[in-house]
Amino acid sequence: MLFNSLTFVVFFVVVVTTYWSIRSWHVRKNFLVAASYIFYGAWNPPFAALLFSTTAMDFWLGRQIGKAKDRQSRRGWLVASVCMNLSMLGFFKYGNFLLQNFQWLLARIGIIYQPPHLDILLPVGISFYTFHSLSYTLDIYRGVLQPTKSLRDFILAVSFFPQLVAGPIVRAGDFLPQLVRPPSLRAGQFLWGLLLMTMGLFEKIVLADMMLSGAADRVFSYGGPLIAVDSWLGVIAFAGQIFFDFAGYSSCAIGAALCLGFHLKDNFRFPYAAIGFSDFWRRWHISLSTFLRDYLYIPLGGNQVPALRAATNLVIVMFLGGLWHGAAWTFVVWGLLHGSYLVIERVCRVLFEHKPWANNLGTRAMAGFATYVAVCIAWVFFRASDFTIAARMLRGMFGGHAHADAILSTREMSQIVLVTIGMIVAHWSLRDSNIETAAQRFPRWVVTAAWAFMACAIIFTQGNSNAFIYFQF
Amino acid sequence: MRSFTSNFKNKLRLPRLFFRKPLPSESVHGGPPLEYERPIPQQPWRGIAVIVVLVVIAATAAWEFYSRSIGYAPTLNDNEDLWTLARRKVKPESIVIIGDSRAWFDVDLDEIQKGLGKQPVQLAMPGSCGYPVLADLAKDENFHGTIICSVVPRLFFAPPGTPPMERGEKAVRRFHAQTLAQRASQYLAMPLEERVAFLKQEELTLDDFLKRLPIPNRPGALVPPRLPPYFGTIDRERRARMIEECARPGSELAKQIQQIWIPLFTPPPPPTYIPKEQFMAKMMEAIEDRFRDTIAAVEKIRARGGKVVFVRLPHSGGLKDLEGRVTPRAQTWDPLLKRTGVPGIHFQDFPELAGFNCPEWSHLSAGDSVEFTRRLVPHLRAALQM
Repeated sequence: MLFNSLTFVVFFVVVVTTYWSIRSWHVRKNFLVAASYIFYGAWNPPFAALLFSTTAMDFWLGRQIGKAKDRQSRRGWLVASVCMNLSMLGFFKYGNFLLQNFQWLLARIGIIYQPPHLDILLPVGISFYTFHSLSYTLDIYRGVLQPTKSLRDFILAVSFFPQLVAGPIVRAGDFLPQLVRPPSLRAGQFLWGLLLMTMGLFEKIVLADMMLSGAADRVFSYGGPLIAVDSWLGVIAFAGQIFFDFAGYSSCAIGAALCLGFHLKDNFRFPYAAIGFSDFWRRWHISLSTFLRDYLYIPLGGNQVPALRAATNLVIVMFLGGLWHGAAWTFVVWGLLHGSYLVIERVCRVLFEHKPWANNLGTRAMAGFATYVAVCIAWVFFRASDFTIAARMLRGMFGGHAHADAILSTREMSQIVLVTIGMIVAHWSLRDSNIETAAQRFPRWVVTAAWAFMACAIIFTQGNSNAFIYFQF
Repeated sequence: MRSFTSNFKNKLRLPRLFFRKPLPSESVHGGPPLEYERPIPQQPWRGIAVIVVLVVIAATAAWEFYSRSIGYAPTLNDNEDLWTLARRKVKPESIVIIGDSRAWFDVDLDEIQKGLGKQPVQLAMPGSCGYPVLADLAKDENFHGTIICSVVPRLFFAPPGTPPMERGEKAVRRFHAQTLAQRASQYLAMPLEERVAFLKQEELTLDDFLKRLPIPNRPGALVPPRLPPYFGTIDRERRARMIEECARPGSELAKQIQQIWIPLFTPPPPPTYIPKEQFMAKMMEAIEDRFRDTIAAVEKIRARGGKVVFVRLPHSGGLKDLEGRVTPRAQTWDPLLKRTGVPGIHFQDFPELAGFNCPEWSHLSAGDSVEFTRRLVPHLRAALQM
């Protein structure tokens, strides 16, 4: 069920009304579990069974890790959990990709092998709920979380519908404590949640889908060479589209959770105002970057290892981060590019951090601009469906085509420029703050007008219930 | 006193509490009590919400009033979900209408039912090629009914990857992969769309208003041509009707649409990045592939006892001249019938079908569509040997 669909509107109204009408906290939690499974099953009912089996297995494995006396058996149970989760992910998400690459490798040594095409349907949100569930056993193993006694609570932590299919990746350790005591209904919190949902839908329906996606799609699907202006505008449009699409989903998720009395952490913090790539990853898809940091980068040694090893770790983490997004080499290249950006940034920090000009306004502005441009270049690989398109786009961006076409209308170009300028100004003005502070500082008439404007724009745009980009991951 | 914001920032800076070993009192789930609470901005939220609701209701009502005042009436949106609803009605022996918008506007479902004895299923889609639907019905092992396929050569022979093909393919994909949620959304949307005039995804959206802004484009920019404005309504059976305003002889709306068909039906110049000869060869190959695939699909349907008939529906004025020049009958319609062995009914071949005038050059008015279908039925019966 998509947030930007009529079904969800009806579903949400029924869920919220029923949830707050129920007195017993246990019954409320049972109701939320049922609602979350209906929300998920509305895509494909059999996948709800898959979700349940993964969750139940991790619940049991978490208990075994908790009960195990020695380090060896704890590790054994953890390995079982990691293997179980990753094999599910591997089969559903990477099955065909692995087979294709195996076929390619065999062809290199002269063996012609035609693998059967596995007609695998990717369960929606599998990358997200696998990580929700995996965080539980990992935290128990690390000794920072004790196994919960309630299977129902754990099922709810993994399947809580606002964050189930496209994040934020909420760790069990962040959510389970919220299930101890019933939240109380507070008007301010509820209405702020609704405002966040409106904002999220506005970002998705109006800014991502209406203002930017058309131009980005046309540029990336154009079969011929494009002039530099159109190539850059197409990439910039996609940079805005993916931000508004994903940040919009996160805002909806955070808002919906607030309406039910739950608190999810921010997933985005004005990423296009980042100065440097480590700053970017502290602001973009925060729940994924912190997940990779805590469960992969730090266990690999983090910063506490020689510089070369730390750089290799960074690249490994970003390689896997890229692969997490999709079963294609273009995603891997996107991840590797970000890995190399992070390494270059570290080298620059060592060389220039203590220079007197390193922290002045001009340098910071240039670094911010360079970060945005480099992130946009990396988006080319994220958006292009293959390397031919990526190469054509990059050639176009750097004026490499002798005879090239212009395909964007003046209206599309104006939309991209206006939305991008607005987005970047907003990100820079709020980069050290947050949306809550802004909402409190603005006069009430501004908040009212902004909310009404966004709601009206959503209704008048109507939308086509386009799926969120991150659903495919 | 510290503001909530500084408190929030401090909370963010705090180490994650669950990284320490929890106290026994906290270990219901092994974690500490709620360590993170989102700050709620201090505003008079109830008052704000009431004003927002009032403004949204007023703006929506005003928009609805405006939409009706400029001639729009409530009608369903013809999207993939409505198409899927119709596709689900196809039974093994159904009469199915496929193809483009001419089959949609010109073929009256009730007259077909009267003449052929069965309620037909309308699966034609505006601006689309009938082939993806023909291929899908050919793949459906249960289907052995009758297909009436409208042919507009420029659409029917559209190469893969072009909008006419993609429209059909998208609808077929939705039919095979529609989720319960999408189905529910369609059932919820229909009563709204039947009552609210401004709910038109392709017409009265902010996007459409932006598209209509008279902003000149760069010289040489390859911008897609405009699509025609609203001129028809559709019901749950996907029965399309031209609106009165367009059907009125010499109406401004009809004239405006006539001028939109010309660029839409004019082939775009060959792309600059492929040599012209190579491009033409590729186009010919794509057309040849369409012939081959159509023959295969028709054979499959016939092998199961199904029947297919191609129809070329009326069009007039400048559009008729243009189609005659760009897609001459001798190179499109005639070889299609000859190579597939499928019977065909070309409106120009029969005086009783040729005398209709299309107000906007491409489709019949609601009244004419009934009469036209009544006259078409005997030809269909003959072609289908019924």
